[in-house]
Parts: sequence; C-alpha cells; structure tokens
Amino acid sequence: MYRGREGQWAFLLHRLSGLAILAYLLLHVFSIGSFIFGERFYMAIHHTYDLWFFRLGLVVITAGVVYHAFNGLRIIVMDFTGAGVAYQRQMWYGVMALSVLSALYAAYRLYPRLIGGY
Amino acid sequence: MTQAQITPSTPATVAAMMTLKVKVLRFDPEKDKKAHWVTYEVEASAADRVLDVINHVKWYMDPSLTFRRSCAHGICGSDAMLINGRNRLACKTLLRDVVKKSGDTITVEPIRGLKVEKDLLVDMEPFFDSYKAIMPYFINESPEPAAERIQSPELAERMAHSSNCILCACCTTSCPIFWVNGSYLGPASIVQAHRFIFDSRDEATQQRLNIMNQNTGVWRCRTAYNCTEACPRDIPITQLIEEVKRAVMYQQA
Repeated sequence: MYRGREGQWAFLLHRLSGLAILAYLLLHVFSIGSFIFGERFYMAIHHTYDLWFFRLGLVVITAGVVYHAFNGLRIIVMDFTGAGVAYQRQMWYGVMALSVLSALYAAYRLYPRLIGGY
Repeated sequence: MTQAQITPSTPATVAAMMTLKVKVLRFDPEKDKKAHWVTYEVEASAADRVLDVINHVKWYMDPSLTFRRSCAHGICGSDAMLINGRNRLACKTLLRDVVKKSGDTITVEPIRGLKVEKDLLVDMEPFFDSYKAIMPYFINESPEPAAERIQSPELAERMAHSSNCILCACCTTSCPIFWVNGSYLGPASIVQAHRFIFDSRDEATQQRLNIMNQNTGVWRCRTAYNCTEACPRDIPITQLIEEVKRAVMYQQA
C-alpha cells in the first residue's frame, strides 16, 4: 500500500462512492421497473431489501452521496482556484465530517427500520 | 554573554549508531519468477542517508544488489525508490526521518508503474518517452536579438518551480492513475510542459496546450496529490498541473 496522504484517500473514496452510487441507481431503476412483471415479482425483490445488508446500506449510501457531492465541490474549487489546492486537506476533512454527520443523522432517522425492518 | 552558553548543547551532528533491518524487494529476472523480500542487518548512524545503507549492502554484504545512483547529492535524479511506502530519493532521505530507534526496519522497493529490470532498477524508457512527447525544448522562430532574450523577474517567476524538476520520476511513479494507465503522460511531463508553456519567450504555447489537451494529457490527473508529496525538489506539482488545466481550458473557451 502506497502511503499517500489525504489527497490519495480523497481520490480513492471519490471513485468508490461513485461506483456505489451507480450500483445503487441501477438497482433502484431495476427494482422499481420490475413492477412490469407483476406485483409478486416486485414484492419478492423488495422483501430481499429487508435483509440487514440492505438496511445498513441505506446509511452507507447516504454517506456515499454526501461525500461524492461535497468532494465534487472540493474538486471544482481546486480546479478553478489556487487557494483550493492550498486548502485541499482542510476541505477534505470538512467533507469527511459532513459525510459522517449525515450518516449518523440517517442512522438516527432510520433507526426503527435498521433494528426491526419494515 | 554568560558562561553557560560556552558549553555546547547536544550537537545535532553527533548521532548514535544503530542497527537497522533493511528490507529490500529483490528480483532477478534470470532466477526469480516473482519479486521477494530480503532483509539485511546494517549498522548505521541516524545522520546517514538511505543511499549510504544500500551502498553498504552492495559493497560489503551482497554485490548482486542492483540499483541506480550517480551524483548522490539529489540533483541527477537517479535513485528514486519507494522507501517506507513513499517515493523518495535515497540520497536525500536521512535515516532519522524514516526510522525512530535501533532495531527498526526500513523497506526499500523499486518505484511502481515501470517494468522492474532487476532489484531496484526499472526500465525508465516509457518515462522518457512521455518526456519527449511534450517537446521539452525551447521553440522561438523569431530572429534572435543581439543579446539575450529579455524576461522580467515576474515572468521568470512563473516558471521558477517547474524549471526545478530533475526528472527523477518520483512523482510520476507515485500517481495512482499512472499505475493503471501507463499511457498517461504523468506529472513529471506536465511539469516540464508547464516550464515551456509559462515561459514568456517560448512561441509554441498553442501546440503545447494541444498536447496537454489530448486524452493522455492533463485531464487524466485526478488530483490525488501523491506527486506533490513525493517531489524531492518541493515542486508544488498539483498546483502546476491545475495551472496547465486552466491554461488549456481558457485557451479553448
């Protein structure tokens, strides 16, 4: 593992969160679209979303979307201003804080569902 | 002054000897299928450089250890290595900056993204091919003035950082994009391009920006900042790459 600093992890997380969002979107479109095969098919898919993996995934995807959005803004600031490059590290810590806070908030709002399902 | 100041406080030049484990990633194309770690125990001072330690291994322990070094003073750019997980020049890295105490281990690997020929020696040809691709020479077809081509200190300042590059490949081989996509010109080439793009006397700016605008050029940079951290000449590489990006963008707009 190359011991890069904040910038390297910011880049890696941006890639991973981007892929996670894409996967979520495809899954979302497919599962909503599955209604054209009838209600039974649709419900069968949606019952699998009650598994703990998908329940926990809601919190992760919230953090992922917030991270990708705000790190995207960080990248825009870096690309257009010299100050953005100078303060990229601080901005990244800000992005991380926002992501963690939003994940915590999502966990708080989804608590009943995380614990007991639907 | 008072007498107490005559006795020198602990001088920084006196450094205790310590025993180090030097873990080198070795590869002999004639014998090995895969690279493997070999550990050498070396006695060294905290004020020694990593290059001194590797030289000691080669001269007194295992002469088959292969690596590049030339000037040993951080200017020829031959001995870029992956030391303790980061790209550095072995001749510019003091042991006290990579180990804490006697008995510690330092790891030395070849730089990544280029084919390993033997031990720490990699094939630098792809690196210099991308260097050649950016036309690393001054272009000015207008008639020469009687004396030199004048440049103001302010205009010289714009290329002050980029003209510091020694082409050691520390930056390019620390770039995660370069590791997976060898066709990316890489930070070193972009820094070299920056040196000519922002040279007020150079006349091929448009041509240079076009090279940077190709899909192997400046847009491959995903601002991971590894290059900036790795540069032994303290060039703010990411900042320079961003300047080139902006130059390309505003020229095209």
